[in-house]
Amino acid sequence: MMKYEPPLEKISVNIRETVVGHGEKALKIGGENTLPFHFFEGSLPNPPGLALEILDTEPENWAPSVLEPFEDVVSDPVKWAKKCVEVFGAEMLCLRLLSADPMGKNGSAEEAAEITKIVADAVDVPLIVWGTDMEEKDAQVLTQVARACSGKNLLLAPLVKGNYEEIAKAAMEHGHAIVAQASMDANLTKELNIALCKFFPPEKIVIDPTASALGYGLEYTFSIIEEIKQFGLADKDKMMQMPILCDFGGDCWRTKEAKENREQGILWEAITGITFILAGANLLILRHPEALKLIKEMVV
Amino acid sequence: MILIGEDLNVMSGEISRVIKEREPGPIQQCVAAQTKNGMDYLDVNVGPVKKDPEGTMEWLINTVQEVTDLPLCLDTTNPLAMEAGLKFCKSKALLNSASGATESMETMLPLAAKYSADVVLSVINDAGLPSDADERAASIMESAAVANELGIANENIWVDPVLLPIGVDQRQVTSYLEFIQMLQDLLPGAKSTCGLSNLSYGAPKELKSLLNRTFLVMIGRYGQHSAIVSGFDRELIRLIRGEVPEMVELIYRAMDEENMDISALPQKELEYVKTVQVLMGKSLYSHSWLEV
Amino acid sequence: MALKGAEIMKMLPKTNCKECGYATCFAFAMKLATGGAKLEDCPYLDPQVKAQLEAAMAPPIKLVTIGTGENTLSIGEEQVMFRHEKTFFHEPGIAILISDKGAESEIEEKLKHINTFDFERIGQKLRINLLALCFESGDKDKFQALVKKAYQTTEAALILICEDTDVLFSAAALCADRKPLVYPITNENMNVAIPKLKKLGVAAGVKGQSIDAVVSVTSDLKDAGIEDMVLDPGFKNMLEGIRDQTLIRRAALKKGFRPLGYPTIAFPCFMYPDRFQETLAAAALMTKYAGIVVWSQANAHFLLPLLVLRFNIFSDPRRPMTVEEKAYAIGNPDENSPVLISTNYALDYFIVSAAIEEGNMPAYLCINNTEGLGVMAAWTSGKFNGEAIAEFFKKYGVADKVKHRKLIIPGVAKKLVAELEEELPGWEIILGPLEGSDIPKFLSEQWKA
Repeated sequence: MMKYEPPLEKISVNIRETVVGHGEKALKIGGENTLPFHFFEGSLPNPPGLALEILDTEPENWAPSVLEPFEDVVSDPVKWAKKCVEVFGAEMLCLRLLSADPMGKNGSAEEAAEITKIVADAVDVPLIVWGTDMEEKDAQVLTQVARACSGKNLLLAPLVKGNYEEIAKAAMEHGHAIVAQASMDANLTKELNIALCKFFPPEKIVIDPTASALGYGLEYTFSIIEEIKQFGLADKDKMMQMPILCDFGGDCWRTKEAKENREQGILWEAITGITFILAGANLLILRHPEALKLIKEMVV
Repeated sequence: MILIGEDLNVMSGEISRVIKEREPGPIQQCVAAQTKNGMDYLDVNVGPVKKDPEGTMEWLINTVQEVTDLPLCLDTTNPLAMEAGLKFCKSKALLNSASGATESMETMLPLAAKYSADVVLSVINDAGLPSDADERAASIMESAAVANELGIANENIWVDPVLLPIGVDQRQVTSYLEFIQMLQDLLPGAKSTCGLSNLSYGAPKELKSLLNRTFLVMIGRYGQHSAIVSGFDRELIRLIRGEVPEMVELIYRAMDEENMDISALPQKELEYVKTVQVLMGKSLYSHSWLEV
Repeated sequence: MALKGAEIMKMLPKTNCKECGYATCFAFAMKLATGGAKLEDCPYLDPQVKAQLEAAMAPPIKLVTIGTGENTLSIGEEQVMFRHEKTFFHEPGIAILISDKGAESEIEEKLKHINTFDFERIGQKLRINLLALCFESGDKDKFQALVKKAYQTTEAALILICEDTDVLFSAAALCADRKPLVYPITNENMNVAIPKLKKLGVAAGVKGQSIDAVVSVTSDLKDAGIEDMVLDPGFKNMLEGIRDQTLIRRAALKKGFRPLGYPTIAFPCFMYPDRFQETLAAAALMTKYAGIVVWSQANAHFLLPLLVLRFNIFSDPRRPMTVEEKAYAIGNPDENSPVLISTNYALDYFIVSAAIEEGNMPAYLCINNTEGLGVMAAWTSGKFNGEAIAEFFKKYGVADKVKHRKLIIPGVAKKLVAELEEELPGWEIILGPLEGSDIPKFLSEQWKA
């Protein structure tokens, strides 16, 4: 009989470890030297980070089943943040600055920074601060946020090719981490990281390959994450060794499948999330507390 | 290496306009300049030519041949325009292109046979673009067999392994390298060509030529017969025509992964070496490959 | 394939005799490597070398089939660890577990479910066609009754799960022509099982307490001439499952370790009592290499996300995913609703249709077949030009759907404007936003019928 030897693959490099937040509740993500869940052949010092998202503005058009858990707090981002931490056990939050969106209310960068500061002071968990996804506006908003929350080690997102320089400089000056976003493209991801690493510490960069929901492009995200992890670990490409973030709650809850049934919606989000963790994601931003709970039970 | 000048192309708005308006001046200028720069063939890319394919081709081919004696490479997806073009070519034309897709083989290959033209035959088939070298090999052997049956000998087939932008799919670039090395074993006597500029599609403008010419030297070493290139890329032409032998030598050494002291290399040499490395897939491509 | 053309070449005679029909030995080797030629075509191959080549060229993971007709499940023959390296070839089976201990009504419901469950998604049918029948009652008659019932009332492929080997094979005999998978075949029962497996011609679900234990069983079964196997190395949760299935696939693909060259089966149904957890485990085990997942739910809301995940992960990354060509009505558009056009590249469609839905303004979305090419690539190759779109308008009667004559085209397709003005006389061609996500704002600010 042929003898079976477990074909273990030892990898000699690690994904960088990024710290978000400050004080006791600061969270580390990344740091592994193997593929997700491969405890049998490597080390994964930190479980995937799971953040719940909150908005600085009352949400519009949210499906009832995802609005329901927050119904009593959505008018006040501080209460909303506290409920996520105290009731739903969130260990990290993502504050989305919709109020500054030029396509919407178009509030000023100063106002957005102010509300961020209030939320950041009200909770002790690490905070991801997500801008408006509009390049120019985010350059203003996120630099203001960086200043207003100096020293809190926020994770500022998203930095793209067109605005990374200003935001990263502000982040460096005020001690924050950043999310480098390049859409579904390993080459462009590397490109942006090379540009950032010329002046920004690599251990404070998180990669956002942009994520799509189950049934709406999930496979593209899945494969781009697997590819980036292969480049980083197997090929030892230093510019691809940053932890990876996935933000997809909004996309999931926009689908008709999630809207038509509560359980189906929760599974839609939770399955999308666990699939990205399997691919190698180190940090997820989730919308429904049940999806968070479920993923946590399975992976932590 | 046979160089085919690519610059007469309707994708350029200006060329498209002057063809429509039957204005010979800019066309003849473009043709004459490429001829002077030492091209061996000229590509005439007219796109699908919806309106009056016969009249357009007759006028265009004659206009071109008034100022050059170079053989032409006729580039259109419209079989009517292709046939019209072939009729007016004075010297043996190159039909660009046929593929292994059924429709293409049924329309383009018989045209090549009828006019005894050489034909560019790409590895694309009904299933699309092959994903690796082995699939390219399997595809081209099938299409070449069809061409052979129509009386087109291997010597008249210019195999196009299809070059994708390195920023789109780096693995396809390395499979190209793998494939071109096996071509003579697959189809003895067959020629080869490719649309070289496609390699650097999307890359920073000032670095496109570096990618293109480095790759051309690399595939030239592996037996590449020809390439469709910019007839105005002087650095590329000098390199390919053997005017900078020490750089060619350096590219070969980088291909052989010879141990060299990279830090001691002058800037230009260093750029070639780094470019060879991304083209061989040794490191992941990004637009700033020279900066790492 | 296990061997590349160049590796096969080394073992051929290298005489270029052309008797195989190819110009060179190398050409023949390439054809062999991609499955287009047979070793028999080479008359000069040494029999010993031929045997060697045959063994080396066999797929490293065997293709196993269960069930018959259109419900045949084919699993195995995978070539890569990661889908971006090539593609995953065979969708895993999702089996619904039915216990013979269950109430009659529950059994009825599940059986009914499998016959009626049928989703349609972008032109693909998502179906469940695999049942796992489990002996838990201790009553042989009850199990046989269940097997008979499943056999008679559905056409699903069957998995029989029964620790009592006699009962297992007596049930297998009832449905042998359906080609069921019988489980478990272990180190303990294999001597009894081997002749029966051979006689019935059914596939063996091999179970061991570890990968090592599985190897000892598959080696013996193989020696006894049994080829069709599915492996269960006894993992008890999602983590162990990911570990074992990863190691099994790696051993087969990277080490060419034949005793593990078979698909695997996973039982999230026995691991997690909570049905949400069970569903997540099924999703994870399916993504990380299970050939079959057995799952206790027959609830459509739990099933749909799993089926969509399977569809996504097993789509071929080498070919762009496409959607069906047609004029999609999004929301409830009427004669004053906007008309937009895009390509049938699936991501384009998803982005644009989701954006229209989000904007709450019903619209017609014309999806032109561009063979999966995006806007600019499709334009260059003549699949998304004035002529093609005019043809589309005729074919789908777009002009009859609306009173106005305005067409919104993708913002990147500037070159299309003039072409369309020529091909669609009377229509105003409006250049839409560059980004799909700006469509809601674009429509709300600019649309007037």
